Amino acid sequence: MNLLSLELPLVAVAALSGALAVTSARRAAWIALALMATATTLLEFRPTESLPPALLLRLTAIYGAILYALPAGMLERRALAHDLQPRRLIATLTEHPVVAVSAAAGLILGAIPLALPIEGSSVLLRGAGVALLLIGLPPLLTSRYVEATARAAVVTLSGALLLRASILGALDLFSSIAMASGFAALLLIGAAVAGQLTKAEE
Amino acid sequence: MSEAQSLQVLSAIRALSPLLFALLSLLVIPLVRADRFGKKSDAHARGGRASVLLLLASSVAALLAGSGYSATLSAGLITIDPSEPGRLLVTLGGAVFALIVAVGQGRRAGAMGQVALFGLALIDLALAIPIGLAPIAILLVGSASLSALAAGKKEDAQRARAVFRDLRTVGVLLTVTVMAELLRSAIPLSATDPSYATTSSLTAGVAMTLSLVLLGMIGAFPFHHRLVRIFESLPIVGSLMVGVWIPTALSLIIFNELALLASSVSEPIGGAVVATLFITGTATIIFGGASALLHDDVGEVLGFLAVGNAGWLALGAAATILHPSAVGPLLIALPGALVISLFGLWRISIRRHYELTSLGDLSGWARRTQPIGVVLICAAASQVAVPVRQFFSGGFNIGDDSGSPLITAGALLGAGALAAAAIRLLLVGLAQESRRVHRAPPSNVLSPAAIWLMAGAILISGVAAGFINIEAAASGLLRPDPVESVPQNSTP
Repeated sequence: MNLLSLELPLVAVAALSGALAVTSARRAAWIALALMATATTLLEFRPTESLPPALLLRLTAIYGAILYALPAGMLERRALAHDLQPRRLIATLTEHPVVAVSAAAGLILGAIPLALPIEGSSVLLRGAGVALLLIGLPPLLTSRYVEATARAAVVTLSGALLLRASILGALDLFSSIAMASGFAALLLIGAAVAGQLTKAEE
Repeated sequence: MSEAQSLQVLSAIRALSPLLFALLSLLVIPLVRADRFGKKSDAHARGGRASVLLLLASSVAALLAGSGYSATLSAGLITIDPSEPGRLLVTLGGAVFALIVAVGQGRRAGAMGQVALFGLALIDLALAIPIGLAPIAILLVGSASLSALAAGKKEDAQRARAVFRDLRTVGVLLTVTVMAELLRSAIPLSATDPSYATTSSLTAGVAMTLSLVLLGMIGAFPFHHRLVRIFESLPIVGSLMVGVWIPTALSLIIFNELALLASSVSEPIGGAVVATLFITGTATIIFGGASALLHDDVGEVLGFLAVGNAGWLALGAAATILHPSAVGPLLIALPGALVISLFGLWRISIRRHYELTSLGDLSGWARRTQPIGVVLICAAASQVAVPVRQFFSGGFNIGDDSGSPLITAGALLGAGALAAAAIRLLLVGLAQESRRVHRAPPSNVLSPAAIWLMAGAILISGVAAGFINIEAAASGLLRPDPVESVPQNSTP
């Protein structure tokens, strides 16, 4: 599988789904998060002939945690089709112009050399990394909603790892295991705390 | 099985012994709670006793396994090389948490023992991994996970919010850690392309980001809210593990990284990092001490004492950058953790006996519960002894390092406030008995449990205050030989 030709579409998917993961609610947010995680993981590990174990581990951890965190009844077909209508997704993004502008600004900023030695680094990866950092960091610092904060943490961390990968390549095995468990922990703890807070407040 | 394979298995057991005991607890604790091992009503007590035994076994196993060559596991790309500080933390932590779980008992004693076992295993594992992103990530992720585990499934909004705060902190700090690693890895690259960032500016950037991770995790001012809420709402085992022991291990790792960084450049690290750490550390000590004096809730007072301890760690980070080869800053971490653990032991003893959390209601308790009084005397004595030793210890002389009389005066003032807050807790116990304390039954000072409690407290305080000098081992293998300084703009 040669992903080099798919880099631009994957970057676009990562930025768009990252923005939707922090702006949408319920189904659209979780689906967008899964898409963002897939796109960023493929960009980070760049599989060519076979899928590296670190990539599989990362995706398994994130998908597993998302499946656990999804509230009951979130995968009903009709409701999914309703929530994922392009018209609704575009409306969500237009309701949050700051996030959409942050994504665009991040992609442009990534093309600028910044202050790092970037010989050999990928402009597209850098752009996606900076975009995800700009999208995820504000809600991570300010959101009052637990699940939205957990999703924002995943988006921000994915952006940081993408930025790192644009210069230094993929993580070593140990760090990959630690980061995969980190992604899973963020989502699982978010889901558990959200459930407890809801019950306590009821 | 060949001899080589047997040796490999033995090395794996030695390298991973704390983790193996933690995993074993997942099997043993539910098993001993089963009906076939006794009455259903005693299941929680059996679980608690099993976790105490596992904690003690983990402590002894870590001591016996050691951190030598025979305890190093190499399998493919993975190398786990247990460090002396890691093994020391597990050895002492196992004994300390066993005592706390045994005194605390209660319905969740088994679960709390598991939190301690997994926390110590993560500390050991993080300190056993060579330099890189993984050790810090393991401790950050472990901290958030243990915080959620300690909170349990109780529908308590305050507890859930404390875990939420922890989740947000860890989410931010993981990202900052990745950025620190990115900047650090870029230092050698900067030599090839001087048109971008210079080696010194990247070094300052790494020092700044690592310091931010340290300050956020240890709960230094202005990140102290997380620490105070943890102590206020989580069970004491979870509070100590997430608020004190894991930050202690993290500070050892970051001190080491800062020392390596500072010794790899010829010029002092700029960017006002050192000044910021000195100011933050001093402000944290003063804030922690003053707040501990002003608050009445036992949990909050303990939280602020832990904040004061975080201030010393921040000053230690500044001293490490100034003197990369000095061992003084490394020696402050463990005694601080032990002192706060002693206060935690006191808190859980008081809570179990009186069911009180307000200091106002607790007056006179020391007259009726001498063993608990001994614990607090030990805690107060080591709280007074530790700041004085930290202030003037070798290679960590705040007065000389900071170069500012204001910092020196502030740190002394804060240390005094922390000591006063500890003594205040003692004086509350000696004041006239409150009505609720008067009604509580006096404890028997000669019971085996009370003797164990007093002996444990005296031992921990002896180590914390430096009368039993075992913390020197903590500076052993963690620190590599001092690296020769290299000229600026060359590969470190």
